[in-house]
Amino acid sequence: MRQKKSTSLLVGILLAIAAAISFFPIYLAIINSFKTQGDMFRSFISLPTQISFDNYAQAFDKINLLGSTFNSVVISVLGIGGIVLCASLAGYKLSRTSELLSQIIFFLFIASMLVPFHSIMIPLTRMAKTLSVQGSTYGLAVVYIGLGVNMAIFLYHGFVKSIPRELEEAAQMDGCNEYQTFFRIIFPLLVPITVTIAILDFLWIWNDFLLPLLMLTDSADFTLILSTNTLFGEYNKDWSLILSALVLTAIPVIIIYAFFQRFIMHGIAEGAVKG
Amino acid sequence: MLAKGFRKYAIFISFIAPAFVLYAAFLLIPTIGGMFYSFTDWNGLNPDYDFIGLGNFVEALKEDPDFIHSLLFTLKYVLFMVVLQNVFALGLAVLIETRARSKGFFRTIFFMPNMISTIISAFMWTFVFAQVLPQLAEKTGIAFFGQSWIGNPDVSFFSILIVSLWNGVGYMMIIYLAGLQGVPQSLREASVIDGATPFQTFRNVTLPMITHAITICFFLTLNGAFKVFEAVYGLTGGGPGRSTQVITMNIYEEAFSNNFRYGYASAKSVILFMIILIFTFIQIQVMKKREVEA
Repeated sequence: MRQKKSTSLLVGILLAIAAAISFFPIYLAIINSFKTQGDMFRSFISLPTQISFDNYAQAFDKINLLGSTFNSVVISVLGIGGIVLCASLAGYKLSRTSELLSQIIFFLFIASMLVPFHSIMIPLTRMAKTLSVQGSTYGLAVVYIGLGVNMAIFLYHGFVKSIPRELEEAAQMDGCNEYQTFFRIIFPLLVPITVTIAILDFLWIWNDFLLPLLMLTDSADFTLILSTNTLFGEYNKDWSLILSALVLTAIPVIIIYAFFQRFIMHGIAEGAVKG
Repeated sequence: MLAKGFRKYAIFISFIAPAFVLYAAFLLIPTIGGMFYSFTDWNGLNPDYDFIGLGNFVEALKEDPDFIHSLLFTLKYVLFMVVLQNVFALGLAVLIETRARSKGFFRTIFFMPNMISTIISAFMWTFVFAQVLPQLAEKTGIAFFGQSWIGNPDVSFFSILIVSLWNGVGYMMIIYLAGLQGVPQSLREASVIDGATPFQTFRNVTLPMITHAITICFFLTLNGAFKVFEAVYGLTGGGPGRSTQVITMNIYEEAFSNNFRYGYASAKSVILFMIILIFTFIQIQVMKKREVEA
């Protein structure tokens, strides 16, 4: 019993050290973002001698925080909304039909999940240009729908199998047409998997860097991540400014994390097991 | 009867079409188009081009030292990532699982870096590597901290690994934790009663029960590691020179830096796709077999 206790203590200490190391970069970014340049170069590790918000005021401006956040929100919301709508319709229908055509289409969606984004980024950029969706936040959201439906269809397809067909038959007997049956009866039952899909897609779209970099040209359309990238390139010696921008960029996801932690972790585990 | 069949068909189309049209436009056609152009010498501008067979592929794999270097660098990175990411994630998950009250706290802390975008993480670490550690070396006199974390490619390989691990371990840890929760407590208790040491219990009871989670995590890490871009872009930008360039970055440079060798860049993209396909196929085959045995 005594030995068990000391092992437990050892594990606790080990985890605490690992946690401290893991949190260290975030801690450094936060404390140094409040320092003046001189204060910072005296010591990066120590706490600020006086708290200065100048960096934040400057960073707020330079990364156009409100505008960039708005763009990120628009792209994420439209992208996720579109994926959920398109994929639930298709995933449901593909799951309920077994004709050859249905199987072929389902296979096409699933097989494409293995295509790495970097392998298609060149033709994709050209296609976006041709369809003139390049250079706009709405256009970018549409591209996200095209890239994101495959996984969502896969998850919906599996989930629909667990819903008894009798429900639809009953609804149709009561006079619902196909669309009413879907939106009134089926879609509400898909909520659990929809939450999973929305979370996985949010983490992907909000934090994505390369696709926005290729698609957005006007800095007024930039997402939060892109604006911060630009700032990093332009002021790469002004660390107090950069760190403030990094902290500002991280705040929205940390807030979301604080509120939805359970859902996020559940969503990841769920998505992985089904995948 | 015919009318009814047509109606059914129309409804089917109306459900599938929204997803399929966007999927076709932005994923299916680009995939096929990229493969098609990989066999041509198209420059992306001229209306005409010639088929040159496997010419692009041969050139990429034989006469392009930068590409080959990026390929080898990426393979080395993948090897380290697949091993380390899974060892750390599983290790943390197992240790956290033993905690009663602090379980939630540690889970929160270790997963937090995963919420932050990789490129933002890379910028944050650039500060640590370029500013904090050198100052620390100066103050403490410990030379280890003072290494050229970003400037020397031999060292910056590990800097890139550190950033990737910091950013990615949390995700895998969550999957392993979910897997561990599926192991019945009674099984572990039984093995303890039978006199198994904690390590034996882990090796012979826990591990076989979570092979499914291991397969998934290996698949995700393998897939993700081949596609590494942001961590390198944010930290070294591929430099100095092209010494830390990864495949994705080499493709990016070929395609978007005004070389106008669209066909050639497409061939490199296809090579990346094929490599990922082959490696994941082998991995799934090997690990699925083990899953059945267990």
